[in-house]
Amino acid sequence: MFNLRDKGAEIWENQGRIGRIVIAVGAIAIVAALPFMGGTFLNTPVADYESVLVYPIAMFVLMAIGLNIVIGKSGLLDLGYVAFFAIGAYTMGLLGTKTDLNTWEILPIGIAMAMFSGIILGVPALKLRGDYLAIITLGFGEIVRIVALNLGALGRSEGIQGIPTPPGIFGIEYAFDSHRIYYWTLLILILLAIWMVRRLSARRAGRAWESIRQDEDAAELLGVPTFKYKVWAFVLGASVGGAAGVLYASKTLFIAPDNFTLQISILILACVVFGGMGNIWGVILGAVILGYLPDRIRFLSEARLLVFGLVLVIMMNLRPDGILPRKKREKAIVKKDAS
Amino acid sequence: MIGNFLDQFWSLTFGGLSLGFIYILIALGYTMVYGVLRMINFANSEIFMVGTFATIIIIRDLFKFTQVSEYATGFRLWLILGTALIFAMLVSGILSMLVEMVAYRRLRRMNSGVLAPLISAIGVSMVLSESVRILTDSRPVASPRAMEKKFLGQFFDAGIRIDNTIIVISALVLFAILITFVNKTRMGKAIRAVSMNPNAARLMGINIDGVISATFLVGGLMTGAAGFFYTLKYENTSAFIGFELGIAAFTAAILGGIGNIKGAFYGGLALGLLETYASFFLGTQWKAVTVFIVLVLVLYTKPNGLFGEALTQTRA
Amino acid sequence: MNKSLIELKNVTMKFGGVTALSDVTFDVKEKEILGLIGPNGAGKTTVFNVITGVYQITSGEIIFDGKSLAGVKRYKITKRGIARTFQNIRLWGDMTALENVMTAADTHKKSGLVSGLFGFPISRREEKRDKARAQELLDFIGIGEYSDRLAKNLPYGVQRRLEIARAMGAEPKLLLLDEPAAGFNPAEKVELAATIRKIRDAGYTVLLIEHDMSLVMKVSDRVVVLDFGQKIADDSPRNVQDDKRVIEAYLGVPEDAS
Ligand SMILES: Nc1ncnc2c1ncn2[C@@H]1O[C@H](COP(=O)(O)OP(=O)(O)OP(=O)(O)O)[C@@H](O)[C@H]1O
Ligand SMILES: [Mg+2]
Repeated sequence: MFNLRDKGAEIWENQGRIGRIVIAVGAIAIVAALPFMGGTFLNTPVADYESVLVYPIAMFVLMAIGLNIVIGKSGLLDLGYVAFFAIGAYTMGLLGTKTDLNTWEILPIGIAMAMFSGIILGVPALKLRGDYLAIITLGFGEIVRIVALNLGALGRSEGIQGIPTPPGIFGIEYAFDSHRIYYWTLLILILLAIWMVRRLSARRAGRAWESIRQDEDAAELLGVPTFKYKVWAFVLGASVGGAAGVLYASKTLFIAPDNFTLQISILILACVVFGGMGNIWGVILGAVILGYLPDRIRFLSEARLLVFGLVLVIMMNLRPDGILPRKKREKAIVKKDAS
Repeated sequence: MIGNFLDQFWSLTFGGLSLGFIYILIALGYTMVYGVLRMINFANSEIFMVGTFATIIIIRDLFKFTQVSEYATGFRLWLILGTALIFAMLVSGILSMLVEMVAYRRLRRMNSGVLAPLISAIGVSMVLSESVRILTDSRPVASPRAMEKKFLGQFFDAGIRIDNTIIVISALVLFAILITFVNKTRMGKAIRAVSMNPNAARLMGINIDGVISATFLVGGLMTGAAGFFYTLKYENTSAFIGFELGIAAFTAAILGGIGNIKGAFYGGLALGLLETYASFFLGTQWKAVTVFIVLVLVLYTKPNGLFGEALTQTRA
Repeated sequence: MNKSLIELKNVTMKFGGVTALSDVTFDVKEKEILGLIGPNGAGKTTVFNVITGVYQITSGEIIFDGKSLAGVKRYKITKRGIARTFQNIRLWGDMTALENVMTAADTHKKSGLVSGLFGFPISRREEKRDKARAQELLDFIGIGEYSDRLAKNLPYGVQRRLEIARAMGAEPKLLLLDEPAAGFNPAEKVELAATIRKIRDAGYTVLLIEHDMSLVMKVSDRVVVLDFGQKIADDSPRNVQDDKRVIEAYLGVPEDAS
């Protein structure tokens, strides 16, 4: 099987500091320039290309990075991830329409709300076995939607309308249809999330999560405060979902319970699984492909969820590590030894 | 409010009981599979959903009922109901076996841990519900009424409706058959052996794959029957029905102690009644929330279920 | 004689109908190597499990370093200074040998998530120091050259040794070794005996479960013998070897019964 990950890792590891900066800046520049490539083969016949870049692609990438902390890093199956997205979005919707706070002020509040609900849900749920956790989170995702559907304050099935766009910063104005501005904003959030995950993974937290994922009992017996780190993974995942929600609401300007169905949780899960649980680049690639293809290939957009379901089954059975599996440093080392 | 409740108590109770029996049958699907695999069969909810459609296919397409048809009576009525029940059970049972082959079998051989089969089962359940959604154009489908919903009698102020009665009696019969199967037949005993101790069972020469297949089949048969009863009672279904009923039935299984067949019985009844009473006070839109809260409370306080005997005893 | 580091007082452990430990009392002195032996199913691993908090004892008391361990969380027991190896190797296979040790070493870290995230100097310093120390430990145990290999790909003997290094990573006062020589050939056993003595000389206290009599007798200062969950002897290796009950219960059984 082709091994893109090791190839990439090899190139990266063989670079000096300058080389790495050049590669990183180059990659970011290419990604940032994507909105200008609508005229090429990248164009999407089903929906407007630039808006597809924002949603689903960039939004999926952001959420997939968040969910990956939970499921890929620490092996906790969260089937209600959409709840945090919804909580972020409704925080934006409510505060944006009822107060004078603007998007940038609401963003930290939305993140905090999502983290807070992550604690509320996680502290009891993370004491349970893995498959019970799956059911509890599944239920939680649905509950949040049902609450939104039935509480007058949240607009019931009509949802919340007239949510303000973000105020301009540095002279950049956010108009409703200026997709590329939103895209770049999301890109910044994505880069922040990548930075956070990479940073944490390389240190104590990353090792704790990894040990929990592989053998939780052994971890606990060798001094890893497993419960604390599981809650942290859950809450950090929630924070990213919440941030995505705030931006989503501030982009669509209209949210309703129908935007936050179980299917979203499953879509994001599919992105993570398809790309490669635990490997952030795999997860990003997975989200890009699964976000993009249904809008690129017409027949896929009808059967989007069907295809995603198939992806889950096929990947799990044939390539459970995804298209870009988590790191297997071993190989690189052995190669170095041989040379 | 309380006065109203007392007035309606018996009619609520009958409705709750028949809903409870539907839950019991679906919960059996979860509980039996959990017994042998120690895993939640996430696709069971969609197996139920397919059972409801199988029922409609018989009533609407085979027997050509429409919303304006005359009700069937006598032998013809029982023929229709019997055919629909058996068809729903078979479709769901076979589908359940297929689900096991597609979602679980290979991963079991690879010894892949819990996460992978869970995800794979979620994938299968997505494929099932989406296929049906596309086929039905996302619309709910009504089942024509083949049977006049007569009242058989009165109990205090509540009428005893024929469909509720049929559901309770047939579910009891199915449950009795299942208990007999598990306790008396060779395969039933093998299923119990595997759920108590898979390794010992293997050493005793039991074909584990065969037993697991059989368990999915039996669980699917029960879940399919629930699909028929549901359609009989509510005369309506959709591609999305599995989720709500599935999580409720799973809660029932947990309530009774998952893996425990008798527990599914008590858990189903308890949840059916509880949900019906709670909906009366809070409104049906909070039904799912009630169920979820029950699930959470039970998992935290009594993870082995309220009616928990030692898990290994009456395990499936 | 040194004072006791850990004391088990009338410890009883029941699993349903099975009594795995029955009224067991013994202690381990500081800087001592105590051999814990007994036939299969005698309850040796169960002793480790109750000490490390895997199971709550049915009755009795366990005192470590002057304080009771009752109800203490498992990871906190490790933090207090007890670390163990597993009879059936339970390394984190997808981590390198070095990371396995470092993860256990994180037990005593001050810096956590937040300082790790922002790369505070304390976190960076600790990280560097722990990496060096983990490497030292691997060298100490004699598997330094494997530090960058994934644990699951290591040869069996190296995995067994890595179990020890990982436990030592947690900087325990008391090191619990559960059959560290299982599956070793005679030469490897001799080497391991030397390592265990070296560990003690480095200041650790060792409680050693081992089936190989000659190894146990050679390295232990004292030997406790369990049979069917009961302590039947607690004496010097020489005396234990001559004890009638021990010979009946244990030495009569061929040595390779495991
Ligand atoms: N979790 C448990 N549940 C039930 N019984 C248990 C449990 N753990 C241990 N036992 C029983 O306790 C007894 C002692 O087991 P233990 O593993 O401590 O033996 P051991 O001395 O370590 O044996 P070996 O030399 O084979 O490793 C055995 O009879 C075992 O079956
Ligand atoms: Mg043992």
